[in-house]
Amino acid sequence: MFNLPWNCYSKGCDKLIQFRNVSKEFPDGNKVLRNINLTINNGEFVFLVGSSGAGKSTIIKLLLKEIEPTTGSIMVNEKDITKYKRREIPFHRRNIGVVFQDFRLLQEKTVYENVAFAMEVIEAPPKEIRRQVPIVLSMVGLSKKAGLYPSQLSGGEQQRVSLARAMVNSPSILIADEPTGNLDPEMSWDIMKTLSEINQRGTTILMATHAREIVDGMKKRVVAVESGIITRDEKRGGYGNEA
Amino acid sequence: MKLRTGKFFIREGFRSLKRNRTMSAAATTSVVAALLVIGIFFLIMLNIDYAATKLESQIEMMVYLNDGLSENIINTMSTEIKSINGVKAVEFISKDVALKNLEKNWGENSYLLEGLDGDNPLPDSFLITLSDPNQASGVALSVSAISNIEKVVYGKEELAKLLSTTYVLRMSSLVIILILLFISIFIIANTIKLTLYARRREIGIMKFVGATDWFVRMPFIIEGIIVGIIGAVSASIVLGAAYYYCAGIVKNQMIGFMSISLMPFNQIITSMVMLLIIVGILIGAIGSLISVRKFIRV
Repeated sequence: MFNLPWNCYSKGCDKLIQFRNVSKEFPDGNKVLRNINLTINNGEFVFLVGSSGAGKSTIIKLLLKEIEPTTGSIMVNEKDITKYKRREIPFHRRNIGVVFQDFRLLQEKTVYENVAFAMEVIEAPPKEIRRQVPIVLSMVGLSKKAGLYPSQLSGGEQQRVSLARAMVNSPSILIADEPTGNLDPEMSWDIMKTLSEINQRGTTILMATHAREIVDGMKKRVVAVESGIITRDEKRGGYGNEA
Repeated sequence: MKLRTGKFFIREGFRSLKRNRTMSAAATTSVVAALLVIGIFFLIMLNIDYAATKLESQIEMMVYLNDGLSENIINTMSTEIKSINGVKAVEFISKDVALKNLEKNWGENSYLLEGLDGDNPLPDSFLITLSDPNQASGVALSVSAISNIEKVVYGKEELAKLLSTTYVLRMSSLVIILILLFISIFIIANTIKLTLYARRREIGIMKFVGATDWFVRMPFIIEGIIVGIIGAVSASIVLGAAYYYCAGIVKNQMIGFMSISLMPFNQIITSMVMLLIIVGILIGAIGSLISVRKFIRV
């Protein structure tokens, strides 16, 4: 077992994520990303907007190392993740929490078990699990529902379970792929509030979304992707006219 | 691997067996079917081996001696032969005994011997039983080197034929068992693939929260091993009962002039159960390993 130096104290670590001249072309000739350059600093909250097929999902998959770029390098914590070997990928992913539009919870496990599962599979000590799971559950406001199954929860609650699961191993990056896509506006704002709190505690958040009102209301950095290139990058932006 | 991780794997393995009852039952059934076939061939192989060993142990060698040797010399020769590697037992047959045996064997035709008029043309001889028929030619060579020996006779060609036949039988049953092993691993891998397909979501979650490949694999392998053991125990019960019944029927039946009998039940049961459990664990574990490969690439 080896550990990657996630706690980086040098100056350069302000730059948490860096895409350098990244292109991705699929075997069928489809160029989904064309020479992307993107830097995300430690502690930022970044919206990734753009129409379906613009390249948002590709950026997320590249960060999770589900796919490899055709050219270019991707730095996370000053390490080029494209150079990681296959057996290093799990350790890279432990530093990144992910939530999806469809929650991806295990239906036959309770809320508590779903969250604990994320710690069990990285072989965390049981004592640590018993300590940490209640903390994240209270952070997302689900302490009282720990014993329920996902099917007994509303969509918003399910998404908060998946947020708790993503955060339980204290990752430095949280990726949210359309986290409000299946939720009504009220639940969506609930989730955004929780995400803001997580961000304020120091976790860097990258959220891909189609939700115009949310992006406009949050006043955070907005990166717009269209046809595989970054068309706009604003510090306190809005959704804009794309898509 | 940490102890608690082992506990986690075993817990998850049993849980998923319970959750996917139908698929687990299907996988167990295919393991039982495969093990029954493998077990039957194993029993056939053991019995061929048993019969062959029995036949081989019946191989004898005749040593004819020069005429007019004293009892002393014969005794020395006997001990000398006994000390040869590969000789199990030596029996002295005097010319008188040999003649009586001949009379007995010829039965009704023994009147022909009356023409000898008390003159015995047969030599004194030793009857040698071999401990290993493969050493027959070596033993024959060593025996003929002893002085006062006229001739060493044994069914050289028949022996060679028997040895090559039993060799072919042993080898071909081994090959058949190996082929069956591969086929059953393939079948079990495909059955487990179906249970995995139903659980690709869970595997996906494990992968994106940072579980290592081995960590994802282990519960499925344990599951395969449990299926293998359950299958092996069921197959052992069925085969054991069937064999016990058959061995009872076949015991000392005469077919023509050959007395045949199956290997006794208590001699065969332990090795059969051991084999089935080992093979069951093996095909369960390898089957899981093969089928999980496809789903782990996330």
